[in-house]
Amino acid sequence: MPEKTETSTSFLPDFCNARMVFVIILLAELLAIVLALAQPAHVQDRLFSLALYSMFIQCISITCAAFLCIFRGKLNALPDNWAATLSFVLIMVIAFTFIELSWWMFSRWSVVDSSLGAHWGFVLRAMGITAISGALALRYFYVQHQWRRNVELESNSRLDALQARIRPHFLFNCMNTIASLTRRDPGKAEQAVEDLADLFRASLQDSHRLTTIENELALCHRYINIESLRLGDRLVVNWDIDKLDQQAVIPSLTLQPLLENAIYHGIEPRAEGGDITISGETENQLSRITISNPLETGERMLHTKGNHLAQENIQQRLQALFGKNASMTISEQEDQYRVTITLPVQANENIDR
Amino acid sequence: MKILIVDDETLARERLIDLLNEDEPSYQCLQASNGVEALELIQTERPELVLLDIRMPVMDGLELAQHLMTLSGPVPAIVFTTAYQDHALEAFENNAIDYLVKPIRKERLMRALDKASQLGQAKLETLQHIDTESRSRQHFSASIHGKIILQPVQEVAYLKAEQKYVTAHWPGGEMLMDESLKSIEAEFNDRFVRIHRNTLVAIDAIRGLEKDDEGNSVLLLRDIEDKLPVSRRHLAGIKKLIK
Repeated sequence: MPEKTETSTSFLPDFCNARMVFVIILLAELLAIVLALAQPAHVQDRLFSLALYSMFIQCISITCAAFLCIFRGKLNALPDNWAATLSFVLIMVIAFTFIELSWWMFSRWSVVDSSLGAHWGFVLRAMGITAISGALALRYFYVQHQWRRNVELESNSRLDALQARIRPHFLFNCMNTIASLTRRDPGKAEQAVEDLADLFRASLQDSHRLTTIENELALCHRYINIESLRLGDRLVVNWDIDKLDQQAVIPSLTLQPLLENAIYHGIEPRAEGGDITISGETENQLSRITISNPLETGERMLHTKGNHLAQENIQQRLQALFGKNASMTISEQEDQYRVTITLPVQANENIDR
Repeated sequence: MKILIVDDETLARERLIDLLNEDEPSYQCLQASNGVEALELIQTERPELVLLDIRMPVMDGLELAQHLMTLSGPVPAIVFTTAYQDHALEAFENNAIDYLVKPIRKERLMRALDKASQLGQAKLETLQHIDTESRSRQHFSASIHGKIILQPVQEVAYLKAEQKYVTAHWPGGEMLMDESLKSIEAEFNDRFVRIHRNTLVAIDAIRGLEKDDEGNSVLLLRDIEDKLPVSRRHLAGIKKLIK
């Protein structure tokens, strides 16, 4: 993967690539054609000037591509604006060299007026064209890179979000539980299917949806119902939410994933199970909700590879909604793992329920 | 046929029992809820087949299978069950050891049963290839008088190599194991550190460093009297670790 991120974060494309070289040649030729077409009407040999422009511009652009290919690794290590500036300077230097060289050749063959004024006029015009077309080309690469990165980021974050919400292990174990219950206890199986459906409906909704704390806690209850079927009396859940204002607003799927983490990391790895405590209170227009689970003291926990994806996701959503008034803190003490979210009480006027 | 079903979820075990009984009521089904319990039952009851869940507390299925390799006498055939494709299981794709994904289908279970009874004993050797790569065991095991003894890795304070055996020491006990210090070091590189050509010490069992009467460095351990010589080669590393 590091290779992939390297290419996706660098804004300069790979100029060593044959396709890229072709794009460069094509762009250069288009510029030559534009210049040839822009010649005043009295110019006789338009084709000759096209050939001349083509050769001149192709030489410069291919040399630029070659140099950018060589220095790409170094340029990409720099921040985008530095890389762009340096690439631009490189293009200008190469163009200047070619312009001077061609002037020198033309004046030797005496096909042009070799006066000083004519010389500088030629250099300035040529450099002007180079500067504008070079800047445009760099801009084009930059925009294309941004676009590609956005597409990539968006699809990644969608995938991450989905995986953070639905753990495959949970889903398939749950299916297995339901399969087992359909024989032994159809009533419970029915209940489990209903709970699972509600859970998935919530998971598939827009992640920016708002809900009330009351609804979110109801979702937690459904989730606990399912987990209790699987874990039996290994799972004990204590509720301490009498002082919590349940009508306040909370982003949907804030508490349930934290509860899922608590069960996954705190209960499942323990043969004897344990207690999960959900406590909350509202004070001075601030609600504080804590979910705590036993901390596995053993060397190797069953699920050590928590990637904190769910936690990061929740923190981001809280921040986006409430700014710095909301926070999420994590503490480990006395063999308890605690996640606390704090959020301001906000009225629930515009919530779809 | 005697079949041991190992899964930490009661309903998952019950489903397997239902499916098996539906097919053949004469199957004798035993149950265990983790690897340690299963190992006990395997040794006392000698089932012919073990349906083994991968993810379980205390000791997971893959680790149990590893310990079974040291068992003398007939080893039961193993069919793994898992909720979701585990990477570790890909090693068995084309192997004698079968695996079933949950929810388990009856046809698939029956096929696995056929396969297991045809092959008799599953080839557990393949497990050796996966064990040290990404995961480490939670228990050391030793076979004593044909019985497997388990020792939680986290209790072991140090390991000492003597001739071709390694002895694991913990407060109040020790155990002779048929393993090499090198492979243990590789498997538990974040838990044990080498202090001598023949000694590995649990990092969190280290209490301090001192010099003995002859001026050689020795390591002091928590809850255990032994003083372990530290070779000059490893001294700098140990000092850094203690800081």
